[in-house]
Parts: sequence; structure tokens; C-alpha cells
Amino acid sequence: MLSLLETQALVADALRRGGGARVTALLRDANGIAAERRLHVYRNNHVAGLAAALAAVYPVTARLVGDDFFRQLARAYIARHPSTSADLHAFGSLLPAFVGRHESLAALPYLADVAALEWAVHEVYHEADEQTLDVAALAGVAAEAQTRIRLHLQLATRFVASPFPVLAIWRANQAAGDDAVATVSLADGGVHALVARQDFAVEFRVLGAGEDRFLRELAAGRPLAFAVPAALDVDSGFDFASTLARHLALGTFRAWSLADGDEGGVEGTA
Amino acid sequence: MPLSRSHWLPRPALALCAGIGLRAEHCREFLEADPDVGFVEVHAENYFGRGGLPLHVLGRARRDHALSLHGVGLSIGSTDPLDDAHLQRLAELVARFRPAFVSEHLCWTSHRGTHLHDLLPLPLTAEALAHVVRRVDAVQERLGRTILIENVSSYFEYAHSTIPEPEFLAAVVRQTGCGLLLDVNNVYVSARNHGFDAADYIERIPRDAVFELHLAGHVRRPVPGGEILIDSHSEPVCAEVWALYALALRRFGAVPTLVEWDNDLPPLAVLVGEARKADALLAAFERAPSFEVDDALAA
Repeated sequence: MLSLLETQALVADALRRGGGARVTALLRDANGIAAERRLHVYRNNHVAGLAAALAAVYPVTARLVGDDFFRQLARAYIARHPSTSADLHAFGSLLPAFVGRHESLAALPYLADVAALEWAVHEVYHEADEQTLDVAALAGVAAEAQTRIRLHLQLATRFVASPFPVLAIWRANQAAGDDAVATVSLADGGVHALVARQDFAVEFRVLGAGEDRFLRELAAGRPLAFAVPAALDVDSGFDFASTLARHLALGTFRAWSLADGDEGGVEGTA
Repeated sequence: MPLSRSHWLPRPALALCAGIGLRAEHCREFLEADPDVGFVEVHAENYFGRGGLPLHVLGRARRDHALSLHGVGLSIGSTDPLDDAHLQRLAELVARFRPAFVSEHLCWTSHRGTHLHDLLPLPLTAEALAHVVRRVDAVQERLGRTILIENVSSYFEYAHSTIPEPEFLAAVVRQTGCGLLLDVNNVYVSARNHGFDAADYIERIPRDAVFELHLAGHVRRPVPGGEILIDSHSEPVCAEVWALYALALRRFGAVPTLVEWDNDLPPLAVLVGEARKADALLAAFERAPSFEVDDALAA
């Protein structure tokens, strides 16, 4: 008699890669219905469930390629990158890269970035809740210590950057009916944005080049003394005061801390 | 040795009113309409995220309703090691939301780290029974409470199974002190798919083991040689399952009952209407005999 381990190995393999005489021999042919037919119900459920999970996370990607193509794409993805968690929300993280490598999708060069945006939206939606930084707390920092301030971003934030207008593409594909799709010109160029959350709703905060660099340095744990010059490096017009005011008002930060004294202005430390 | 059941598993003091499965698409309407249902049940793994709207909404729903946390992915029957991170997250949800019930399925859903997200049936053998008993013990120890184990619907049976399912479930209950979540629709679906008598199955489940009942709809799919019933949770409960439910209430007493609907979701009112039908039947039967009732577990 087959052990439990051997039984599960055979059935799991049959569901993922197709059956064979060894697995159908394990099963009863009852009521005149062949074992292979019976296995097929599970195979269908398995693929349909995971494909539905992908479609729920990637509705815009699915719309851009069409439902039929997306089903094929999902099937190929499931075969290549099986689920490794009982939490279905964790499934599908590699779809943007998978889309990017898919040769028949080369005509849609922006698709991988749209998918990456959708995964960022999905992650931000389920991220941890945190307090918003109380601006008043910063007022007590001595003037000479201010350059050592590190601002910690909300956990529910993700950076997206693309040479394509992915936010416009995403927005144009939120409408319910096909007729309502707006035209987006790829000539509109790329975008930097922070995907964040306001009152549990996911929103996009479009970022200037300097602003993007500033927030990324802060997110990497670097103090103002490092983040501000880094932002000025990429954008000489970067305005520290208005950028800080904007993100304090938006609630982009959850906390602050002070870098060690000798850490403040030293390039490359975090 | 598990603790005695009376210590571990009080029958929660739930109102004798059927509950509904609460799905994300219904959450807003549920909070606004605030329907009078006995309790709500959610899939535990849908709340494994670190924060955001789903957990917030669950907290809101929990303020006014008793809760059942229903697991679909712990893979109790798998030969993979129990997933510590999964159990940790489940324990956190139990601590935060104080559910009346925590349940899982008599099945396996993963193999060698790959999750199939299918409730796959176990070969019903002495080896599988010993394995399931060890795993249920481990989960109950980790959570510090008794869990309920649910019978799954199945589309095939193993030729090497040696223990009929009701006796297998009864043995798990006897050896671990767990309770049963008896899914009446699953009994019906499996009975039709494998050619056994659903009423006889129910008569063989120990009278005092059932703490919760499930009802749901299924679809009938024609295949060469006949038809297979698929446990789709996409339809109203059919007349045959309602009749089987009445039989279950006669045997087990009025047990908290939940109507599940997961696919092709109808308006919330339709689902609540299904729960009302269950209420009408529940009202006709005596409440199941109670162990120590802990009011703190009720809403």
C-alpha cells in the first residue's frame, strides 16, 4: 500500500503536470466515471482559483492583453511559479518580470511596468497600519541636529518608476465599459510616483525627479543631510521646504529618528 | 493527551440564528445594512495581510457579531511540516478577534512547499488517521484551544482507503478532543459522486461531536459516464440538501449553522435570505446540549 507521502506526491504531480497510469491506479473508478475525469475537476479548480487570484490583482494588465490571453498567461505563470504560501494574496509577485520576459508581449513594452504598478497597489492595500508622523514632534529638535533627522516612510508605500505613462494607462483602464477608455499617448513620457494609502484607499503621489530621489534616500534610512544634496544632484530646482511640507501634509511619514552625530553628513552611510 | 473537551470547547453562546460567510465584495453592504445574522465566518488566510481595509472591516464586523475563523490552507493532512509562520499568524488573528470557532478541513492543500489551493481528500488509512491526529493535537496545543474539523466534498476516492469517512472523523474527534464542522452540502456532493447514502453518513457521525453546520450550493457537471457534482458555493442551497440539513438537526440538535456563498456572489439580501431559511428549521429543534458556556466568546 502506498504511503501518505507517496500518495500526495503522485496526486500533486498529477494536478500540476498531468496524470498517468500510476496516479489513476490509485483512484476508484466509481459510478462509471473514470478516475482521470475525477482528477480533472481538481486540476481545473487549481488553475481556475489561481488564475482568478491573478486577475484580481492585475485587472488592468488583463484588460490590456484581453481575458483570453491573460488566461493563457496565467496558466503559464502558474506552471512556472507555483504558489508557495497558503495566503493567496502572496501569489503573483513575479508576474511583472514574467510579463517582461514574454516575447509575444514585446509589442506592449509598458505592460511589465503596468503590472508592477498593480502589484505595488496590491501590496500597499494590505500593508500594516501605522501612525502618521506628528509634525510637532520635530519642532523640539535643536537647530544643529536638524540635518541628522531621518524621516521614516509609512510601511504602506511603494515607489514606482517607468519610462512610460503607467499612471495614465492605469487610470484610463479603471472605467467599467470599453467605450470609456481614454487614449493615452506613450509620448507623454515616464513617471515617478509613490503608491500610498489614505484612509485605507490606495492613491498615487506623482513625484518630481528630485522629490523621488529625496524620498528614496529617506526610505533607505539616510538623514536629511544626505537626502537633500542627493535630490539637488538630480534636480537643481529641488525645493526642500515645499517637498517636506507636502509629504508631512500627505502623511507620507510615520516616524522620525536622529542619525548618530558622526553619521549626519557622511556620504554613503545609512 | 489532549485536555477533556468540556475544558477546551464550550459551545459558544451564539444566538440560534444562522450565520453567513462574509466575503470582501459584501463587506461595505454588510456594514451599512447590518443584517441580523447569528455570526459571520471568514477565511482566515484572507486576513493574513499586515493591515489595511480588510482587517479594519473585520474589526468593525466583530464589534456586533460573533465570528468564526475558517481556515482553508493550513494543510492539516499534508506530509509537509506544519507551517510555523502560518500558525503564528492564525494565533495572532485568534488573539485579536476572539472567534467563537476556529476551523480547518480534513484535507491536504500543499506538497513539498507548493500550495495547490485545492481541498484535496486524504486516503482514509490508519497511517493518515495517526498523522491527522498528531497534527490536530499540535495545532490545538499551539492555539491553546480546540478547533473544528470539516469534512470536504470530494471528486475521487482512493482505492487504498480502508476507513469510512464518518468513522475516520469520529476517531479524530475521540483522539484529539476536537469538534466537527459538518458540511451538509459536502456530504451530499460526495455521496452523489461516490455512490454512498448521505443520510446513513450523517447517522454515523457521533451525536455530540458537531459544533457547527455548513450549507452551500453546488453545480452538476455532466461528464462521460454520468455527472460530477462540484462544490462551487455559487448557488442557492438545493432542496435535497435542505432535507439532509433537517435530518442533521434532528440528530445533532440546533447547531450554529452557516451559509457559504463564494462565487457568482448574489446581492447580500439573497444570502441573508438563505440564512433565514436555515433559521426557520433551527427554530424547530432543541439547542444542542451545552458544555460550559463562556459568554466572553460570544458577541
